[in-house]
Amino acid sequence: MSDPVLEFRSVMKRFGALHAVDDVSFSVAPGEVFTLLGPSGCGKTTTLRLVAGLEEPDGGEILIKGAAVAAPAKGLFAAPEKRQLGMVFQSYAIWPHLSVFENVAFPLRVRKEAGETIRRRVLQALEVVGLAGLAERGATQLSGGQQQRVALARALVYEPAILLLDEPLSNLDAKLREQMRVEIRALQRKLGLTVVYVTHDQAEAMTLSDRIAVVNHGRFEQIGAPEEVYEKPATQFVAEFLGRTVSFEGKIAKTAAGYTVEFAEGSGRCALSGLTGSLWADGIKARVFTRPEDVEILPSGQDQSNRVAGVIEQVAYLGDRFEYHVKAAGVSLVLPAPKKQRFMPGDAVALALDPARLNVRPMETP
Amino acid sequence: MKSSAETILNLPSRFRLRPIRIAEISVLIFLTIAMGLPLLYLLSGSFNLAAPGKAAVYGLDNWVRAFTDAGTVSALWMSFLLSVVRLIPAMILSVVFAWLIARTDMPGGKFIESICWVAYFVPDFPLVLAWILLLDPNFGFLNTIAKSLPFIDAALFNPYSFWGIVWVHTSTGGIWFKVMLLVPVFRRLGATLEEAARVAGATTTTMLWRITLPVLAPMILAVSVLSFIRGLQSFNTELLLGTPAGIYVYSTKIYDYLQREPRAYGEATALGSVFLVVLAVLLFFYWRYLSGNKKFTVVTGQGYSTLRVKLGGWRYVALASCLLYVAVMMLLPLAFLVLGSFMRRYGFFSISAPFTFSHWHNLLADPIFLIALKNSLIIAGATAAGGILLYSAIAYLLVSRRARLAPLLESLCWVPHVLPGILLSLSVLWLLLATPLRFFLYGTVWGIAFALILADSPVTTQAFKAGLLQLGGDLEESARVSGAGWAYTYRRILLPLLAPIAAAVGLMNFGSALTSISTPVLLYSHESRPLAILLLEYSFTGELERAAALGLLITLIIGAMMLIGRKLGLQLSGGD
Repeated sequence: MSDPVLEFRSVMKRFGALHAVDDVSFSVAPGEVFTLLGPSGCGKTTTLRLVAGLEEPDGGEILIKGAAVAAPAKGLFAAPEKRQLGMVFQSYAIWPHLSVFENVAFPLRVRKEAGETIRRRVLQALEVVGLAGLAERGATQLSGGQQQRVALARALVYEPAILLLDEPLSNLDAKLREQMRVEIRALQRKLGLTVVYVTHDQAEAMTLSDRIAVVNHGRFEQIGAPEEVYEKPATQFVAEFLGRTVSFEGKIAKTAAGYTVEFAEGSGRCALSGLTGSLWADGIKARVFTRPEDVEILPSGQDQSNRVAGVIEQVAYLGDRFEYHVKAAGVSLVLPAPKKQRFMPGDAVALALDPARLNVRPMETP
Repeated sequence: MKSSAETILNLPSRFRLRPIRIAEISVLIFLTIAMGLPLLYLLSGSFNLAAPGKAAVYGLDNWVRAFTDAGTVSALWMSFLLSVVRLIPAMILSVVFAWLIARTDMPGGKFIESICWVAYFVPDFPLVLAWILLLDPNFGFLNTIAKSLPFIDAALFNPYSFWGIVWVHTSTGGIWFKVMLLVPVFRRLGATLEEAARVAGATTTTMLWRITLPVLAPMILAVSVLSFIRGLQSFNTELLLGTPAGIYVYSTKIYDYLQREPRAYGEATALGSVFLVVLAVLLFFYWRYLSGNKKFTVVTGQGYSTLRVKLGGWRYVALASCLLYVAVMMLLPLAFLVLGSFMRRYGFFSISAPFTFSHWHNLLADPIFLIALKNSLIIAGATAAGGILLYSAIAYLLVSRRARLAPLLESLCWVPHVLPGILLSLSVLWLLLATPLRFFLYGTVWGIAFALILADSPVTTQAFKAGLLQLGGDLEESARVSGAGWAYTYRRILLPLLAPIAAAVGLMNFGSALTSISTPVLLYSHESRPLAILLLEYSFTGELERAAALGLLITLIIGAMMLIGRKLGLQLSGGD
């Protein structure tokens, strides 16, 4: 792995008693899209602002391209304008008194580039974001989507070391949001940009990121590729924040082949794949989590392996799929199912679990 | 290149000069000296028996003397009484006006609103003069007409009386500003609240009494209390109309103490201090009421109301009444001001050639007038410019959330909002007399500008603060991340964006500096006398015609400035 463009070492930021960023360490490789994902108020924006130099950390060290830009222990702090970054704000922060051209030209004018260079690079940047021909437009005459593109062009125009994006799509309508998502990803690949991206929208995080950091209460709960954090959530919070989960209570049973879990009320059992050795004692209570879309609803049948018996309670028709409320192993679950199957309330069904997609948490100490 | 960047990066933070911290501390020191010290001097001065600048001798004599003087207590009582009595009709009228404008289908509502707006900026002193021209027992036009009626022998009206003062206040400060404050409140009342009442079967009257007014009651009360406090600060009307009749309020009493020979500083500061205490108590309850009252959230309910009460044929009656009020309270006095300035001897219509330009001619040729005009322009210009510079910086500090002492800073800024002009004048006077500042500022135009700048602090700071909050920190921060330093960001981003606000408050402060009497009245000297004080002197010496001309001239200057403001497309109103 090449040297990281951005590195956080045990960074802390407090606002009064609140630990906005609590002992956070990570690094971002060149050309990577690194996403901070979490609910509002979790500290993801503060983390981004620490990168930008808009906040001063209270502890730890921040390095950009190997050089420390903030290290309170050494009394070191570089102002935002010294950090060679590009940033798109949630509000876009388009300066209303300047034209589109002047907005984009601003970073170059600050750097005292020659007039001809400025002109060439601004037009090039506008072209890249698909705004060619709008250079002389007033900034306030633009639509939300166009303003967003201007903000992007302005952040890109001087080829910053890192592009910081703070919920850039949250003010756009759903359709435009999907389109911009694809465009930003394409642009990032084409220009080989290193991006730190902040969002609370998991779909955005999944489609855009090389790696996702799930943030909660100022701490990084998990860092990993989108698939990894979704399929193998390290914590309960990560599992529930990324998509929906369903869970069953049961008891761990140790067998020669490994572990299985026996569900409450004798409703069935399921093997736990890939677990050997003496992780847990025999007979302890545990909770098993999986994604609703990984549970298949089948007619009640002979095959008992990896199945939970249940009864359909309600059916909802959602157009593209059905949604069944199923009572199984003493809990009520909401499960989506394709339209080709059809069950009626009262039908006895078997829920097929995928041992490879289960997460187990003991409810008592092993 | 790289080395310079490295130096900046590696400079330890405790050695780095943080401009924002330095700015914060210096502004704080300035405000504490400028606002806190005068008040302190005022309080301690009331216990000081020696004249300012002399070695202090402490004692209670001032307080004893002030309060054994029956006039002092009655002046305080009169302040209170006048403020309450004139508040009642003014509040009722302004609630009705605001309701008609915002919630009914009365035609021309916008027009009436903008008239209120213009009327608010008409300076009060010329209007008081105009009412004297109309109501004076000897030559007042309305009394002359009344005397010609049968059965009326004596003068019907007398402005130099309690009710005369109440009446004239209803014309000057009366309802215009309150309407401007209340109209947005009425507009913002959540549409659904009234609509729900309608759906529930309420008639217009029931809805008004049971829903609209109770919901708005906290806001109406807040405006009333604010008006009451502002009413206590009144000076000009009471000076012109009360003094001849022996009616003193505390502000004219302070003025009276300082007109004596030798100046009775002790009594004046004692009275000022008492009033400060009263004010502090009032304000404490006012703020507690405002902050403790959660009912206000209702007013910011969602959606502007489209529901307007249909008045039917009454809507023309309503409009006619509004227009009549404006005509009687604003147009009539202004017309007589014009008339008065052109009459050889005001009130004598039957003499040969009653009309003349000589008062205007004399006024404009008077060297004293020319000096006063120059003084006024310097004072107003310095006040406007100084206010913009100082308070934009303070507002920036307040908004930037990097200022650790922001709450303290903010409360200091609010002090002059409640400090009556005469007290500000008195405390600045004390500051200028008792410190080395007397060599630079005492009796100069700059001393007056200094006091006026202080007086402008609340409104100006709030205007800049609102502007900065509306801009949001993002516009500034994105410039910083784009590579611009603080100075460059200020010059290229903040300054252009704040320019309209700066121009608006600049014009407003220029105007109020031009018309203020109570603030410069204790600070001027013969070299630094401004126009407003000259107007005061003319009216004291009975040169009413010349005073009318000067009053009109000041009004015209204010009018011209408002037009300029309009032309520049400035949003001067505090409405939304």
